[in-house]
Amino acid sequence: MKRVSYVLSAAWQGFWRNPVMSLASTFTVGLMLLLFAFFVATDRGLQAAVGVLESKVELALFLEDDARVSDVLALRTQIEADPAVSHVDYVTKDQAMARLVDIASRQSDIQIVDISSNPLPASLEIKLQNAQEAPRIGATLRQEIGKGVVHEVVDNPSVVDKLLTITRVLSFGGVAVLAMMLVVALFVIVNTIRIAVHARRDEIEIMKLVGATDWFVRWPFILEGMLVGALGAMAALTVVVLAAGPVTNALVGFLEIVPLSFGSAFLWQLVGSVFALALAVGGGGAMLSVRAHLAK
Amino acid sequence: MVSPRAYGRGKELITLDDVSKRLIRLLIRDELPSSGRVWVDGQDVVRMRRSAVPKLRRRVGVVFQDFKLLPRRTVAENVGFALLVTGHSEEEAREETERALSLVGLAQRRDHFPDQLSGGEQQRAAIARALVSRPKILIADEPTGNLDPVTSWEIIKLLIRVNELGTTLVMATHNAEIVNALRRRVVHLDRGMVVRDEREGLYAA
Repeated sequence: MKRVSYVLSAAWQGFWRNPVMSLASTFTVGLMLLLFAFFVATDRGLQAAVGVLESKVELALFLEDDARVSDVLALRTQIEADPAVSHVDYVTKDQAMARLVDIASRQSDIQIVDISSNPLPASLEIKLQNAQEAPRIGATLRQEIGKGVVHEVVDNPSVVDKLLTITRVLSFGGVAVLAMMLVVALFVIVNTIRIAVHARRDEIEIMKLVGATDWFVRWPFILEGMLVGALGAMAALTVVVLAAGPVTNALVGFLEIVPLSFGSAFLWQLVGSVFALALAVGGGGAMLSVRAHLAK
Repeated sequence: MVSPRAYGRGKELITLDDVSKRLIRLLIRDELPSSGRVWVDGQDVVRMRRSAVPKLRRRVGVVFQDFKLLPRRTVAENVGFALLVTGHSEEEAREETERALSLVGLAQRRDHFPDQLSGGEQQRAAIARALVSRPKILIADEPTGNLDPVTSWEIIKLLIRVNELGTTLVMATHNAEIVNALRRRVVHLDRGMVVRDEREGLYAA
């Protein structure tokens, strides 16, 4: 295994022989991986949100936290009088939270971080005889907003549609941006390794003349590329860990959804795929470079 | 192009006049002939698989005219390098390096860098590196090219000792004095053609 230690130390020396270039490519790869992690996490989060919403009812009235119960019950009776409505459920804040906890417990990739405060409103959930009546009833009920009882009317199918659209745009946009970043990262790695090959051209010449195999000549460079990838992955994951909290909070505030966090299974998947991509890009880029510059 | 035959079996000392950088590159398949065959140690070098080339080069040590020593490595590191990059362990490399360095008389200079050595010492270091993998054939390109006459003779004596220890020696040289004094086999090449091949030849025909 002395062979391995020679190759490893050659790769390590190669990395630090030109630190500026190596760190620049590490940074580029890290940035690409960060975008990758962000897209994967966001996509997964939105899908979970869509799943939660789809399991819900057709029309919901979110109630003001300080609405009087008697007013709520009066409203409920009034709604039930409409022939298009099949029935109305009154869900209190506590029930809403209990239900969310229950949903989360059945979905392994979401966890509820913090249940000390309850941001969920109480609601009236309306099941319709006929889903096509939803816009009309929704419009009628929207007139109640601001009168002290109804905070918001949620036309559930439209929310789901909106989220699905966001998910779709994000994944198309994400794939496009990622593809561009991938090309940039490959380009930078190919160049870094080319410079490394150039810096060691005398050594390579002698290696070949004294009978080193092609792979023995190539491995240090491929490992150097993988090292760039792995360091980039560590940098990206460090940023992910540090930024996960604040970004989640910002998104929660922005999209007005309940704070969710990803379960450890998903986190390990994310770490695994980030590292796999990093090593593939680093090693692949180095391989391309070595093939072009050590062909002889 | 030439179709030279290098004889690996005997303890002959072949001296090549003229040409030869090209020839050496053909012998270790650093270059392929446009036509013809190259045989080294019973092997057809031209038709050899690419993957067999490293093994060929481990059996043919070459001392280049410009030495090709790595400036940032010590003498011992330069010599050991040839073994480390061909998959030998560090212990093995260390042992064989000491053997090769003492054979060429450079043991006490082992930790010096190439630019701290005289021309003759650099030549010895290059010879040590070519010998460290115990090749069957040693090729020396103009081994006395850049050296003064006294040092030249020391190097030639060293090469003859290597030859006597059982390594076939192929030497490319323009040095008439040395060729004439050695009286070994001389193959005279002129513009890539063998014009003369004598068992105990002299420099001029």
